[in-house]
Amino acid sequence: MPNQNGSVYGLTILSPIIDDDRATPSHDLQIRAYLAQLSTREDSPFAVAPGTHLARLVVMDDVIYVGMPSCEEHLKSKYLVFESNCDGDLDTYLAGLADSIPKHLDAIWSHCVGYPTRGAADRDAFIAYMKSCQLETTFYFAAVNDKSVPATLRALQIQTAVADFIAAHQGDDPVTLQRDFIHFAAQLKTLPPPPAGSMGPHRTIKTGGHNE
Amino acid sequence: MSNINGKVYALNAITPMKPWKTWILRAVFFVLGHVKPLQNDLINLSFIEFARWVIVPRRAFPCLGKGQLPEELKYDYLLFFSNFNGTWNQYIDAFSAVLSKGLNLVWRWSEKFPGSVPVTLFKEYIARVQFDTDYYYTAYPQATANDLKSAHIVQSSFDSLSAIATQSSPEQFAAAYLQFVLEVQAHLGETGEAPAVG
Repeated sequence: MPNQNGSVYGLTILSPIIDDDRATPSHDLQIRAYLAQLSTREDSPFAVAPGTHLARLVVMDDVIYVGMPSCEEHLKSKYLVFESNCDGDLDTYLAGLADSIPKHLDAIWSHCVGYPTRGAADRDAFIAYMKSCQLETTFYFAAVNDKSVPATLRALQIQTAVADFIAAHQGDDPVTLQRDFIHFAAQLKTLPPPPAGSMGPHRTIKTGGHNE
Repeated sequence: MSNINGKVYALNAITPMKPWKTWILRAVFFVLGHVKPLQNDLINLSFIEFARWVIVPRRAFPCLGKGQLPEELKYDYLLFFSNFNGTWNQYIDAFSAVLSKGLNLVWRWSEKFPGSVPVTLFKEYIARVQFDTDYYYTAYPQATANDLKSAHIVQSSFDSLSAIATQSSPEQFAAAYLQFVLEVQAHLGETGEAPAVG
């Protein structure tokens, strides 16, 4: 199934935006204004809801004319594109969004045609609506396709901690090394997983410079 | 609006295709999807986290009624979404240099596609058919695709070493630890803010 690559799901949704001459500002601009003030870090709605690796929202105003001899044509509607790379099963993912961030979903998608009257609070209607706007992915590539978001965040956390441990324990005798490693591994287990959307702990960049 | 979040760039592109040509492209993608060695160049490029192509037939744009007019289009459209590390120029340069045949196979069915080589014309085409991202989220903005692969390698080795740490003698552990360091030493690059490009 082209929407799925390993355990990662490639969700592509095109939601037609309401075209209403009386709306001021227009619905597409209202979506853009709302998206412009949304955080993209730990407090992003997609960090709060489970299962999103990467996601984007794009207002597509029109198709693009590439010049003669091709024909110029235009869309009758503007579309809100939602492209998400998420964990596992689509129904579970959409239900997770509806349960975790209903206000954000309503604020964005209430400007789209056919969005449920009760919004994401009506979870089944929300899932059915999103599926009615879904496009099947023709070809989907994922560099890592067998790890969930929490597993990935955990691996990044361990990678950083291990680098620090190795740097700090060069040349230690076997007894000290083993004792400290066991303590380190136990401590690492108790650490909470890092939050999604975070840049991670601040670390001084040791490299850099012109065109690095 | 930003196409960039941390170390990832979101590229969106849409190109028109004559409807009869989309069937050829579907066949190309079918082969690409089922013959894994053909994906090697894409995998080896190593700076693409996720990418997808979506063919939208001219009558398949979602139409939900309720006052929405159905689209009346002559062309089918090919949507391309990529999440890659590095700058736009680096990405298109690498795409053109490494994947030129593959790219031509995918986009030659789109109207006015000039070919992926020479790169100047290719860049002009991509710039023309690209549209900007309004909101872009990544769960791990500090990491590149290579960082992710490396982190999983480190974790796997770390888990193996942890499992034997309490059961071995200090000397046995030291030998295993040395082996562990050899396994992971190439995968400990720092994540975090990207160095300034200027």
